[in-house]
Amino acid sequence: SAAPALPSPQTTIMAVEFDGGVVIGADSRTTTGAYIANRVTDKLTPVHDRIFCCRSGSAADTQAVADAVAYQLAFHSVELEEPPRVRTAARLFQQSCYRYREELSAGIIVAGWDPRRGGQVYVVPMGGLLLRQPFAVGGSGSSYIYGFLDATFQPGMSRSQCQEFVAR
Amino acid sequence: SPMVTGTSVLGLKFSGGVMLAADTVGSFGSLARFRGISRLLKVNDSTVLGASGDLADFQHLRQLLEQMVIDEELLGDGHSYSPRALHSWLTRVLYNRRSKINPLWNTVLIAGVYGGESFLGYVDMLGVAYEAPSLATGFGAYLAQPLLRAELDRDRDRLPTREEARELLERCLKVLYYRDARSFNRYEVATVTEKGVELEGPLTLEANWDIAHVV
Repeated sequence: SAAPALPSPQTTIMAVEFDGGVVIGADSRTTTGAYIANRVTDKLTPVHDRIFCCRSGSAADTQAVADAVAYQLAFHSVELEEPPRVRTAARLFQQSCYRYREELSAGIIVAGWDPRRGGQVYVVPMGGLLLRQPFAVGGSGSSYIYGFLDATFQPGMSRSQCQEFVAR
Repeated sequence: SPMVTGTSVLGLKFSGGVMLAADTVGSFGSLARFRGISRLLKVNDSTVLGASGDLADFQHLRQLLEQMVIDEELLGDGHSYSPRALHSWLTRVLYNRRSKINPLWNTVLIAGVYGGESFLGYVDMLGVAYEAPSLATGFGAYLAQPLLRAELDRDRDRLPTREEARELLERCLKVLYYRDARSFNRYEVATVTEKGVELEGPLTLEANWDIAHVV
């Protein structure tokens, strides 16, 4: 018989950039094998006031990295005396994910708003690549929606259009 | 182990310089996940580098190289890294990583013109390194290299002209698009001559599906 599997989110996460900010969304299921360990998981984790990360992959790995990044960002923004840039947060995620790429199983989307560049979405997939994109999806559930996204997404959507897009 | 990967990079010497071409996709296994990635990097005014393999490792390499170039500019002595020097440096870096059983999972082509001479070199993740007038990584080594060599062998007294080289590379990219399951029809081309580096792209390949009618 199979040993109990580690808790892992079976996720669909996404983030979309619009003029003025970002809209992020995620489902809320965490499974331990076939059992749903948590049906109200919050996979959208704040790492700072206006910067969130969407987590997919191993729950433990992504929570650990997110906590570490939140700490580093808090420190950094105190030193800087201004809100940190989304790009900085994304870079911090990328540094951890790349250095420990063999040990971690984490696909992360960093999304937020900063005064310099407005709403931004960055993807840090497994392996530790860092890319900025106008919208991003991740998680094992994301494979099913690539086709829909390619057909439906248009750059320059408004806030409510983005919210609708994510909800669908 | 590689996660998000880039496929072939092609390189060809022509009379007056060297040219590199690569498509712009980052594949996550068989999923064409990131379709706007640039795999050609301008290192300095005399060198370009094209990488296939793991793209996170390529980003790491890019940071190392950018820092090296900045440090060198700070010295302000008028010297810049020659393509051959970069090739040598990269070989050592990749070989040492491989010897620690933690390779940078990339195969890299370095192209450049320095001191009037053109250079085209190859380094892979094991530290294997060589130079040749035509090179290709990944699938390109099987599909494109024969086409490139046939063209070079056709007239051994001269290298192709810039236009001929460009046409040949596009033809090879088309073949790769038809036959490499991890390729894509958007690509970039980098040309290095005495005058410097020109990066063109992203351009789109026109694929010809007429043979479907014959089947």
